[in-house]
Amino acid sequence: MIQECKTLQGTAIPGIPGRLAVTLAPDCARLVLRLRPEGRAAAGTALGLTLPDRFGEVDESGERLAICLGPDEWFVLLPECEAAAADERMAATATSPFSLVDVSHREVGIAVCGPAATLALSSFCAFDLESMPAGSATRTILDRAPAVLVKHDAERYRIEVWQSFADHVWSLLAAVSREIALDI
Amino acid sequence: MTNARVIDAAETESPTARPSVIPVVAATSLRVPGRGRNAAGAPVRFSFDGRSLTGRAGDTLAAALLANGIHLVGRSFKYHRPRGILSAGCEEPNALVGTDRGKGRYEPNTRATTAEIFEGFCSTSQNCWPSLRTDVGAINDRLAPLFSAGFYYKTFMWPKSFWNKVYEPIIRGAAGLGKPPTEPDPDTYAARYAHCDLLVVGAGAAGLAAALAGARSGAKVILVDEQAEAGGWLLSEPDVTIDGRPAWVWLSDVVRILSGMPNVTVLTRTTAIGYYHQNFLGLCQRLTDHLATVPEGAPRERLWKVRARQVVLAQGAIEKPLVFAGNDRPGVMLAGAARSFLNRYGVRVGERAVVVTSHDSAWAAALDLARTGTAVPLIVDLRPTVSPDLLAEARRSGIEVMCGGTVTDTRGRLRISAVRVNPVAASGTVGEGRWVACDVLLMSGGWTPSLHLFSHTGGKLIWDEDDQIFLPGQATEACRCAGAGTGRFGLAAALADGAAAGAAAARDAGFAAKAGGFAVEGEAAMTGIACRDLPTDRDAAFAKAFVDFQNDVQAKDIRLAVREGFRSVEHIKRYTTNGMATDQGKTSNINGLQIAANALDRSAPSVGLTTFRPPYTPTTFGAFAGYNRGSLFEVTRRTPIDAWAAANGAVWEPVSLWRRARYFPKAGEDLHAAVARECRGVRASVGLFDASTLGKIEVVGPDAATFMNRLYTNAWTKLEPGRCRYGLLLGEDGFIRDDGVIGRMAHDRFHVTTSTGGAARVLNTMEDYLQTEWPELDVFLTSTTEQWAVIAVQGPNARNVIASLVEGIDLAPEAFPHMAVAEGRICGVPMRLFRVSFTGELGFEINVPARYGRAVWEAVHAAGRPYDIVPYGTETMHVLRAEKGYIVVGQDTDGTLTPDDAGLGWAVGKAKADFVGKRSLSRLDMLKPDRKQLVGLLTQDPRIVLQEGGQIVAERDGPIPRRMIGHVTSAYWSEALGRSIALAVIEGGRSLQGQTIYVPMPDTVHAATVSGMVFLDPEGQRLAA
Amino acid sequence: MLLITCPYCAAARPEIEFAYAGEAHIARPADPAALGDEAWRDYLYIRSNTRGLHVERWRHINGCGRFFNAARDTVTDKFAATYRAGDARPSALLSEGVQR
Repeated sequence: MIQECKTLQGTAIPGIPGRLAVTLAPDCARLVLRLRPEGRAAAGTALGLTLPDRFGEVDESGERLAICLGPDEWFVLLPECEAAAADERMAATATSPFSLVDVSHREVGIAVCGPAATLALSSFCAFDLESMPAGSATRTILDRAPAVLVKHDAERYRIEVWQSFADHVWSLLAAVSREIALDI
Repeated sequence: MTNARVIDAAETESPTARPSVIPVVAATSLRVPGRGRNAAGAPVRFSFDGRSLTGRAGDTLAAALLANGIHLVGRSFKYHRPRGILSAGCEEPNALVGTDRGKGRYEPNTRATTAEIFEGFCSTSQNCWPSLRTDVGAINDRLAPLFSAGFYYKTFMWPKSFWNKVYEPIIRGAAGLGKPPTEPDPDTYAARYAHCDLLVVGAGAAGLAAALAGARSGAKVILVDEQAEAGGWLLSEPDVTIDGRPAWVWLSDVVRILSGMPNVTVLTRTTAIGYYHQNFLGLCQRLTDHLATVPEGAPRERLWKVRARQVVLAQGAIEKPLVFAGNDRPGVMLAGAARSFLNRYGVRVGERAVVVTSHDSAWAAALDLARTGTAVPLIVDLRPTVSPDLLAEARRSGIEVMCGGTVTDTRGRLRISAVRVNPVAASGTVGEGRWVACDVLLMSGGWTPSLHLFSHTGGKLIWDEDDQIFLPGQATEACRCAGAGTGRFGLAAALADGAAAGAAAARDAGFAAKAGGFAVEGEAAMTGIACRDLPTDRDAAFAKAFVDFQNDVQAKDIRLAVREGFRSVEHIKRYTTNGMATDQGKTSNINGLQIAANALDRSAPSVGLTTFRPPYTPTTFGAFAGYNRGSLFEVTRRTPIDAWAAANGAVWEPVSLWRRARYFPKAGEDLHAAVARECRGVRASVGLFDASTLGKIEVVGPDAATFMNRLYTNAWTKLEPGRCRYGLLLGEDGFIRDDGVIGRMAHDRFHVTTSTGGAARVLNTMEDYLQTEWPELDVFLTSTTEQWAVIAVQGPNARNVIASLVEGIDLAPEAFPHMAVAEGRICGVPMRLFRVSFTGELGFEINVPARYGRAVWEAVHAAGRPYDIVPYGTETMHVLRAEKGYIVVGQDTDGTLTPDDAGLGWAVGKAKADFVGKRSLSRLDMLKPDRKQLVGLLTQDPRIVLQEGGQIVAERDGPIPRRMIGHVTSAYWSEALGRSIALAVIEGGRSLQGQTIYVPMPDTVHAATVSGMVFLDPEGQRLAA
Repeated sequence: MLLITCPYCAAARPEIEFAYAGEAHIARPADPAALGDEAWRDYLYIRSNTRGLHVERWRHINGCGRFFNAARDTVTDKFAATYRAGDARPSALLSEGVQR
């Protein structure tokens, strides 16, 4: 089997101890699930998650994470090895029409953690991050890049961004990190 | 007090009364020991026009220059008149200098009154040559009659041809201020969004009180001030007490309290530059301009974009100059500015100060100066009567007072040396003047509330007849004004007003807030009158009485504009340029309005104020750009194969946000040679192309085929899984919007491809129809553009190259014919393989998950080595597709072409009852035979490659303007045909087959023959191989 | 930057998350073929071009992805209301004389 070539491979943003750490999230399986609301419970069972029913809600357990992005749209992160099995289980147990599309390679995950994480993101995120509930997520625009932003808690965020936009977001985070390191 | 006239009007002008020149004083003697916020500041060396000088840490450049006895700092915009320092703040129109912070950091037109000096700070004067003191351009001042308002429309109109070549360049050369920097800006800039309950603009007394009231209620507060420290006018008025504490002690206590509260952010050196919809404000924070040593990588400025639930504007007021002849000489300055320089920086602005005023506040400046060693021979007050307290204080300080007086002239070439003062009788008659020696003349015409930000919101202004000022009226946003900005002058009023506004704003934001009270003692009086240009005993038509210092607009210019028929204040503004300089008329608007209203014989409010627009003060482009410069100027999307292309010498081409390899030149090759080689390689053997940027959408669901049928022109229900089809998408107007190959992966699953630039648009269109027109359809969409890397392998040897790498798909022509699609594996990774061609050759498009793209590309490249596989770029792709007459939507179509116009009538499922755009195709206009149709063109000289966009005419010669019947959409050198080819849209083009049309160019006319669109292999035999 | 309240998210979000999508309440005719040229022209091109309150479609494209309707004053840019696609325009807006 041939080698994967990952976006931003070999790059790093120097951490600021006690303040900010920006790192690439480990690989995972990413699935876009679309179905009508009546199929939600069954789909959740198939994927091993509770699919939330309100936009922005997140169900997270271990390496599994499901975000309700819209009334018929969920973004699901699973351990990398589970994508194929999830597909089969869905096909076997679905109670209504659905679409499950593997987009594992579409995105890059970036973890932004530390007490200065909110400040760092506020440099290019237009909505109020402080009032964003912990354990929620939203699709938004980061500077000019469409992205999904997950807020695990006040000091831990995850950005999911398409490969070709990842470098832009990463470079912004690098610039912002320099400001935070200089405390300016 | 009925008659405070102390000077005898009989003391008339005489030659002997002329003063001698005041000697230049030693720098140290202008500093008042122990006085000023920076009294303990360390000495700082800086330079002005190459002269090394010493200032004090905490000084502005203006304060440091004045401490060195320097008033002359620049030449004026139009007349090159010597100019000095007028103000002590951001409103400064005169003292604009060039600053050089090293490493290419040159900035023109910096206000000396706001620039903070540091060790090594370097500044230069502007708009003068060869030197500030001796300036050739000052001839303009002598020629002033030529340069009246609108002079360029009048003086220089003949001969007309001279305007462009002679007059305008000379005028442009002579006028102006600083020179733009020549180096790219080496600095970086930052940005930040912030959200708060209460934003307070201005950290003077009112702003501090508002912030305190808001902060104590628990509201999230941002307090912003443009100066280096909070305090506003308090910094210039240390001798009052607030709540029993000296002003500066109270100030530091309050700032400490606010800074220590977790819900408060205090931003200094930060200007609120604009107030936009829904309480969205832009703040420009200057981070490093004041630092001698800038930390490596530190941004220069940060643009804050603040959304506030409530706003309190406590912007204060700006002192108005008085308008009289010679009011622009160096040494003539605002009285409040002189007081600021003295009290805030410990700098006396001169040795002998005359004061002319219509307002009490200038008296405080006179008294402060008199107390600290500056001689104050005279206060001229325009008012016939002033308060007895002020008169008594002046008397105690030995200051002569002329109430009911005026100033009619000044003297002194590079610095004021004398002022001519005259009494004015109750009847208005101006008496004889006399000259009084001075080295500074302090003036005050009262105060103008700062309404700039309030104006940005479209809030209405109200005219206050008593004070002759505009005040904020009905707000359009959740915003309150407080303090001097509302015309409530004075410290006690500002504190009370600010506290009330802050508390009310916090309450409106949902917090229980109450306004604190403040006890103020020792406050100076703040009453006065407004006046237009001062009365004079001379002919006002010859007076050089300036209204707008920065644009050199005089009172007589405004009167001239009115005489010439201008009535609207907006027109007068543009004709005279009053208030149009970078200071937006902060010191000139109201004076200009009063003069215009008088000349028009109308009331000031009926003439109206010109509109303030963001930014409040000049703002760097860098601040607006923020992070978006250099590589972050715009998103640059790169494919998974981009790095390989970069390593292999690709020349790039931007395609929407993507950068794509345009061609891969070998040593010594130009575009033409490289593309010719790449084309030959593909046609002769095999080529490799990165098609990853194609938009991809997974369309899934039991109704997927129905949905595709309704959306695309083609018929989809009968397309078998495992097959693909060229799909054409129209708008409801019947015009082509997008196209692409669409594969049916399963009964309920389509793999849709779109053009590179159309990906997002097509997905949006699909969602639109699904959500709003056909919600009953069970169809779901997912963008997979970036899930798949796409590698096109094209050419007669394409199959041979990939055969050894592919598993699970029988590639034999019968088993996997043209327009087949299948899932399998390549190099051991999952793949969707399309047998499609955008070249007319046997072709495959390999789709693999993106992170495998690079490795699969390299594997295919290696497998192709025996076949001399050639990687090719977008330019070759374009040539190859044009040879086959394949269109590129957006290049060969422009939003006005129907399928039939583009020769794609075959792609329309005519039997279908409906699809998006179908109804439009039968509109009468769409059926006209003379519609522009896409055709091929063959130039009569085969070596000529036409210009894309070249206009087409029917006859070689004819009268101009010619009637244009179409234009060239694509034109290339075809290596396969050994000649040029082109595609063009021409009226009724298909009926012109074989006829000659012409493409006029600036130097020649090209003749071409109309042909079919397919130049190569019209039978498609190569495709089927 | 405007704040726009998405009726699906029930939250005010920054304008950059939204895309404009033309005048609202213009349904695609069920049977376009049955329409005469003029009626079809009106569907395609004739718009109210209101000065004042204008009902229009927006999409929360970088949010929940939903298309919705809004009444916005074309003079002040202020949104009077937003509501879900398929809902009738709020009666309060009708009384203010919104056309069409």
